[in-house]
Amino acid sequence: MVINPREATRPPLVEEERTLQSGAAGAPLRQSNLWRDAWGRYVRNKAAVLAGGIFVVLVLFCVVWPIFSPYDPNAVDFALKSQAPSLSHPFGTDNFGRDMMTRTALGGRVSMGIGFGATLAILLIGVAYGSISGFVGGRLDNGMMRVLDTLYGLPYLPFAIIILAIFGNASFWTMVVALSVASWFTSARIVRGQIITLKENDYVRAAKAVGARWYRVLGRHLLPNTLGVLIIAIFLELPGVILGEAFLSFIGLGISPPDASWGQMANDGRTVYRTSPHIIAVPSMAIATLILCANFIADGLRDALDPRTRET
Amino acid sequence: MALLEVTDLATHFFTREGVVRAVDGISFSVERGETLGIVGESGCGKSVTALSIMGLIPRPPAKIVSGSVVFDGDDLVELPEKQLEDLRGREIAMIFQDPMTCLNPTLTIGTQITETIRRHYDVSKQDARKKAIELLEEVQIPRASERLGDYPHRFSGGMRQRVMIAIALSCDPKLLIADEPTTALDVTVQAAVLDLLDDLRRSHDMAMIIITHDMGVVAEAADDILVMYAGQVVEHAPVLELFDHPEHPYTEALLGALPQLEGEGIRAGRLTAIPGRPPDLINPPAACRFAPRCPYANENDSCATVMPELREIRKEHWVRSAHPMSEHAGSLRGTEVPA
Repeated sequence: MVINPREATRPPLVEEERTLQSGAAGAPLRQSNLWRDAWGRYVRNKAAVLAGGIFVVLVLFCVVWPIFSPYDPNAVDFALKSQAPSLSHPFGTDNFGRDMMTRTALGGRVSMGIGFGATLAILLIGVAYGSISGFVGGRLDNGMMRVLDTLYGLPYLPFAIIILAIFGNASFWTMVVALSVASWFTSARIVRGQIITLKENDYVRAAKAVGARWYRVLGRHLLPNTLGVLIIAIFLELPGVILGEAFLSFIGLGISPPDASWGQMANDGRTVYRTSPHIIAVPSMAIATLILCANFIADGLRDALDPRTRET
Repeated sequence: MALLEVTDLATHFFTREGVVRAVDGISFSVERGETLGIVGESGCGKSVTALSIMGLIPRPPAKIVSGSVVFDGDDLVELPEKQLEDLRGREIAMIFQDPMTCLNPTLTIGTQITETIRRHYDVSKQDARKKAIELLEEVQIPRASERLGDYPHRFSGGMRQRVMIAIALSCDPKLLIADEPTTALDVTVQAAVLDLLDDLRRSHDMAMIIITHDMGVVAEAADDILVMYAGQVVEHAPVLELFDHPEHPYTEALLGALPQLEGEGIRAGRLTAIPGRPPDLINPPAACRFAPRCPYANENDSCATVMPELREIRKEHWVRSAHPMSEHAGSLRGTEVPA
């Protein structure tokens, strides 16, 4: 028998618990919980950690840089027109002589803001639709799913263009609506599938047996258990939405100048891509980096939050 | 008047293959403070009976097609869902077979207990917490106040069943339905949980229905025993009467299938099994459902064509068989079967 010397000098177990935990979970072991386990699995995925790091840096850059930037993002100065990257303008300047670095950060705010906003809207609609369908079940579920099947045929970008045409102007909120209105179907299906499996759990029946009402069963016992899947879904939806926003801005349907978004900046560089390629390259690379990071993060999160799917 | 009066209850499952008569016209009553044991093999309708009382049968495919469940003056079959929800947990509580899956793994047990209390009583979080600690102490969980913040995975099976019992008792129900409360536990824990249930029944002055396939469990805990077979009541008697003078051949066979630690009289020796399988409950024949497996029945008997009625063979001893044991005075198993 191996005796750990530190083991021998330990005070009695009960005493130690008293000193360690002040009234909280009386546990002699370090409590393992879902999020800590998930974090442990996430950091093992090097690509996901790197992607997460880049993602955070990118977000911080977009949020913080415009505050400290010495340049006015909208100050037109044709003397500085289309300068290549230099020390004073690390990303160069655009056709109007505006600092590209500052504008990229500002454009990132818009692109990511719309991206996250639309993703959240997609998830909210998806959760509402999917959980009602899955929870009620039976004929309603059947009907709601057939409606979804029909809507699935809608091509999402043309639909977004039509929505923007109906609104007539493109602002932050109209962009969010346009991008989410035809892309929540998958998340609704995911949530419905989750709810249907979860509601067969014994603890749901046990909760009903002590009088839990339906909203409590749904809100307390079912939806929190779908959280992991939803977090993954955020990062899976994000690239598509950001790409959609970039596309709409690129074809001139995005938010109006002088506000920038990455797609719009790329559009500005389109005509001068031979003479000043950095004008189209910088926002394009920002979009590509963000999407790549989101994909790797989604991958890492899936391994971390749903370890059973790892093997397949 | 009895606390719970079930009359002619029939719950059928409407499936693609046909109508499954899971519970087919059963009647019984439970007095205040009394324990009723329901025994029978898997699939005989024990759990569906319990879920029908609670109004928790999966609809569709199941449906209560007839009968009434009168609890404290209200017919639960007719009661609107909203009132039924208020009743569950407060007046009738239920504990289930598998404590490993009946607690939500993502909520602390403190949350799960206090939620039930706050669902039925208008009390503050602190008061609910105090009550939860009392309950955990009552079901003998050590260091109750510290364990309130623990998640279910930190509890063993027996402990979780105690937590389930604590949740069930949190609102002082008048009736506790225990659906195979000890089946998933090992034998020593079983005994402890059964003792605990019996103590709590006394101290809380509840009536209890214990559903089990284990004759040993009901022998200890129940006052009355209801033996179910293929969705019907085949025998209903006080516990001592049933164990001393079983009348239905099925009950006799069940008791014969019990392992005996102390060999005594006719049941010493090998364990006996009941030959055959329970009948399909889709379109059962209009005959005694036990007839194909009954050692006393043959094709010429009335019970092969007519369903025997439930009759009171002695005072408070009801049996549904054409061949009750007392009418084979002195006969041993199997000797009556013609060659």
